[in-house]
Amino acid sequence: MQPKTKGIAVAVTGTTAGLVGLLVMTLPADADQEPELPELSATELVESALTAKAPAFEGTVEVTNDLGLPSLPALPGLGLANAESARIYHDGDDGARLSVQRGSTEFTAVTGPDGTWTYDSESNTATKYPGVDPTETVPRHGGLSDPARAATEIIDVLSDSSTVTIDGTARVADRDAYELVLTPKPSERTLLREVTVAIDAATKLPLRFEVMPNGSPEPVVSAGFTEFDVTAQPDELFAFTPPRDADVTTADPDKARKALPKHADPSQALDDVGEALGGSLSVTGSGWDTVLTGAVPEEAFAEAAERLNELGGPDGPPETTALDVLNQFGERFSEGGVSGTEFTTHAGTGVVTDDGRFAVGAVPRQVLIEALEQQ
Amino acid sequence: MTTMIAPSELRLTRARVGLPRLLWAELRWIFRRPRTRVMLGLLAVIPVIIGIVLTFADGGPTGDADPPVFVTLASSALALPIGALTVLMSLLLPLAITNSSGDALAGEQANGTLRGWLLAPVSRGRLLLVKAFGVAVVGLVAAGLVGTTGVLTGLVSNGTDGLITLSGTTLPLLDALGRVAIAVGWVTVQLWALGAVALAISACTEHPMLVLATVLGGVIVSQLLLVFDSLAWLHPFLLPSSWESMINLVRDPIWWDGLGEGLVRAACYMVIGLSLAYARIVTSDG
Repeated sequence: MQPKTKGIAVAVTGTTAGLVGLLVMTLPADADQEPELPELSATELVESALTAKAPAFEGTVEVTNDLGLPSLPALPGLGLANAESARIYHDGDDGARLSVQRGSTEFTAVTGPDGTWTYDSESNTATKYPGVDPTETVPRHGGLSDPARAATEIIDVLSDSSTVTIDGTARVADRDAYELVLTPKPSERTLLREVTVAIDAATKLPLRFEVMPNGSPEPVVSAGFTEFDVTAQPDELFAFTPPRDADVTTADPDKARKALPKHADPSQALDDVGEALGGSLSVTGSGWDTVLTGAVPEEAFAEAAERLNELGGPDGPPETTALDVLNQFGERFSEGGVSGTEFTTHAGTGVVTDDGRFAVGAVPRQVLIEALEQQ
Repeated sequence: MTTMIAPSELRLTRARVGLPRLLWAELRWIFRRPRTRVMLGLLAVIPVIIGIVLTFADGGPTGDADPPVFVTLASSALALPIGALTVLMSLLLPLAITNSSGDALAGEQANGTLRGWLLAPVSRGRLLLVKAFGVAVVGLVAAGLVGTTGVLTGLVSNGTDGLITLSGTTLPLLDALGRVAIAVGWVTVQLWALGAVALAISACTEHPMLVLATVLGGVIVSQLLLVFDSLAWLHPFLLPSSWESMINLVRDPIWWDGLGEGLVRAACYMVIGLSLAYARIVTSDG
């Protein structure tokens, strides 16, 4: 072969091979495949999911959201909007380990023979939770002595507001899964289209949870495994010895134990949150068009305004007031004797009225206003 | 010099110059250059500087009794070398490998010494092999030096305990050394990928500066593009997109996902770079 032809042949082959290699890496493994699985009814699937016992596995979980929240650089605590990934290890028994990646730091929680520990590499603190039975931390579907009946009950409760179906199958984290779909009944006034839960065909563990909004094929919230391997895990993963130099604290066992069942009860948890906010919260409606209403803690916005003023510095824009903060990120509205500021995201709406009340829900604005008027 | 060389004699000469001798000669040629030695020496000093700064940061000028945690962690024999490799990967290690690639073909072209190679009874493919080998060794030595001085500095400043991972586990020394070795190997492969691309450019020009400017410019632009979320579709094609996953070596157990992906990406770049370099060398008329 002529050197020139040979050279060109090598260049073309090599470049093509390299580019194809790079391209293959960008492709999702086999997202569009729909595996063939035996037919199951929704009740049967829920029943087997309730009785499922986690095998020993390791997996990577990713949480993404596309809520379309306004970016609020001045307000803290909104870093949640960023994608996070975590690794989970489970020994098939009571041992579990969770590592959450947060940039160049990590938060680890370990439950095993040494008890329950958490470790935060940012502050180098290890916390021990003594006396907490690790099995208590995971709600064990208490009182589900008869999973078949429990499954029927759950489906019954859900079917008041939703249609529960199995909508085909999917490949999640390279595994075959059933897609359990909750669709709101036509009477529900919600911004959401459906909620899907992908349940692993072999282990019956939920692999992915997605919330789909109206009018968009992309989920607003998606949490699920990107990797899931059922294999035996080494024992040392579930043991924990705090590192030298770490601040070791022990959580108050009573407090820890009390906190668990208390927050398992939604209405109690609601009261607690309300208490923390300095006002009471109440729930209007049920199912998909549930609306949460309450009084706005005045300090919250005063603080935010102060913070914005600080950021602006002496040469910054003129003094920001609490109302300006709201108007900066929301839209003014006035409807049916209620006026205030409206915030819209892809999955829900929130309003703050001029008389200091608020309402949020996965619903359009009118439903929020009706809820406020009922108060 | 106009006497004809009989073909049989040519074959004889070819057989006599063994590949190991060629490779050895190339290495001597590279490592005899003062600039290679100075560059590698400076790279080796950087982990020491980082280590000293971090050690004196605790209880330093501010008299802080409780130094921030990253200080005690970062100067350990585990985190310091891996951290130093990560920091140097963003510019200085690519500079070293690109410099060496630039010298390998473009530099010799400029000096006129490449002509000797092209006229010598050495096939063009073998010439590229020898040059690529030289560049690869420079990459390995650079990463290895940074890793070694990093480990030594960490051992001096923090001793053999305190090899704490981000997950809060303490590693035995051997385990930690193994992880540093993995980090050195991984960085070396990334440098080879850059070196292969640099060789392709080096084969096309006689200005080593041009190689340096192009590849470093590419590295910097890639890192800049990685900042923009709206270009997420492009990110898997950029070599530096996996460089951040080095930190996964300080987790326990190690998260391999990003690291493995980085190796595949580097391999793709290597195939592209070397095939283009080969094509150019085979077709150039000396």
